Amino acid sequence: MNQRWKLGAIAAAALATLASSVATAQVEGIPQGFTRLFNGRNADGWHWSRTVHHGTTAVAKVSDGVLTLEPYPYGQGGLLLTDKSYKDFELYLEALPDPAFNSGIFLRSTEGGSAYQIELVRPGNTGALLGEQLRITQPKYVGERVDVNTVWKDGEWNSMRVRMVGEAPRITLWINGTKMWEVETPKNDQIGGFYGGMIGLQLHWTATYTPGAGGFSMGLPWLVQRFRNIAIKEIK
Amino acid sequence: MRRSAVTLVTLLAAAGALPAQEPAVTNSVGMELVLIQPGSMVVGRFQPPYPVPPDPNAAPPSPAAGAAAGRGGRGGGRGPSYTPEQYARLEAMAKAASAPGFSVTLPRAFYIGKYEVTQAQWKAVMKTNPSIFQGDRVTDDADRHPVDNVTWEDAQTFVRRLNALEKTSVYRLPTEFEWEYAARAGEEADTPWTVIRERAVAGYNSFFSTQVVGSRKPNAWGLYDMQGNVWEWVQDYYNEKLFADPTPPRSGKVRVLKGGGFAADVKNAIPATHAAGPGSKFDVGFRIVRDLKR
Repeated sequence: MNQRWKLGAIAAAALATLASSVATAQVEGIPQGFTRLFNGRNADGWHWSRTVHHGTTAVAKVSDGVLTLEPYPYGQGGLLLTDKSYKDFELYLEALPDPAFNSGIFLRSTEGGSAYQIELVRPGNTGALLGEQLRITQPKYVGERVDVNTVWKDGEWNSMRVRMVGEAPRITLWINGTKMWEVETPKNDQIGGFYGGMIGLQLHWTATYTPGAGGFSMGLPWLVQRFRNIAIKEIK
Repeated sequence: MRRSAVTLVTLLAAAGALPAQEPAVTNSVGMELVLIQPGSMVVGRFQPPYPVPPDPNAAPPSPAAGAAAGRGGRGGGRGPSYTPEQYARLEAMAKAASAPGFSVTLPRAFYIGKYEVTQAQWKAVMKTNPSIFQGDRVTDDADRHPVDNVTWEDAQTFVRRLNALEKTSVYRLPTEFEWEYAARAGEEADTPWTVIRERAVAGYNSFFSTQVVGSRKPNAWGLYDMQGNVWEWVQDYYNEKLFADPTPPRSGKVRVLKGGGFAADVKNAIPATHAAGPGSKFDVGFRIVRDLKR
């Protein structure tokens, strides 16, 4: 065994130890006082939207405490919604998306998927605040914004915590315990004046039914989205 | 000679084979209905487009071709780049998932609403208005917007009262196949997005309320808002599948919704979309069918 090899082996072992400690230390787990939305055994308490354009026939599988959302059939995604609606809340979850998979967390969603959205796509705009079939009026960022690339761990579980309070919502996002941004909005942008809605997990569509419709392709239809430790704390 | 011709006409009329009906009628509450002739269509065709490797001999794209960028479908220009193995897997998966659909014949002519049931028509029949988009939530005449926020049971109550009002039994909700046949208006292929945008009050982040009925272009049979504005209830139970089965289920938890509402996307505001309740309330309405008098 030469010295160089030996050093290399020690370095590799140290890196492996570091990597494993990072993998276990990076997500903080469900905060105290939160109620589980996902029981870790089945998708009770959730249902697929039957009117969202992403798809209505995707599949939710549960194994080892992980909720895996899979498109079905080819290119048809969906929107998995909580059965209950929420107004003001803090949501916590952990996500492990396939690379290049377009997903999102829908907040105050309708059945048809009109919602405030936290984008979830790597590489890409993960953590961005978007309106899906909803226009957010002049969101004003308060304080510093953190670059998601400095906190997101590709290929690992990442925690996301969102606080959404007020009819004209003030929204705050944390990723892996780091506060990413805080947004003030001047008005309630929910369609039809509703206040509150469901939590939704998006599985973006990737193909139309036939080429004639548009022939548009948004990605690989075998990619899946994984979530675990989904919990909420209602703020009354 | 003349006498035999009259006899023939009488016989045909008695058999219901003669299209002696007006092409369009208006009922007692001002609902315009369009005559739909018998015919057939294919339902449930699924041929998802898949990305293909770029043609190495193709000319570089011109700026004018920019609008097509991102279209990665078969024969559909450029898209994201994949490995040869990924292209092969995409093609195999898409072909394995493809289904030809099935033929559906509509054996009888029927009238169907030229427009979705409006708030004025709902009020005339029901004396109430459940719509979310009325008052200060619209900037124009809410009476001419489609009624929204109606359940399937509400729509059935409307049909019963309309029948009672006219002392008839000819009004009902369309079946899913009647609705889809009228919406396709002879178009076999799925509607291109460019056409949907002309016809439908729908599209990604495009509309945030219902619009006055008939504000967009009609389909080939003169029907308005068959795509977009409000989702429309039909008679059938939902089978919890991507498309209808050749025979609709006899029972189920929810009813089928067709056509997409104003908050739908060009992806699903198409005749083929087989959705189901409850929907988002603010974009759920219906149109009615009137059977021919015999």
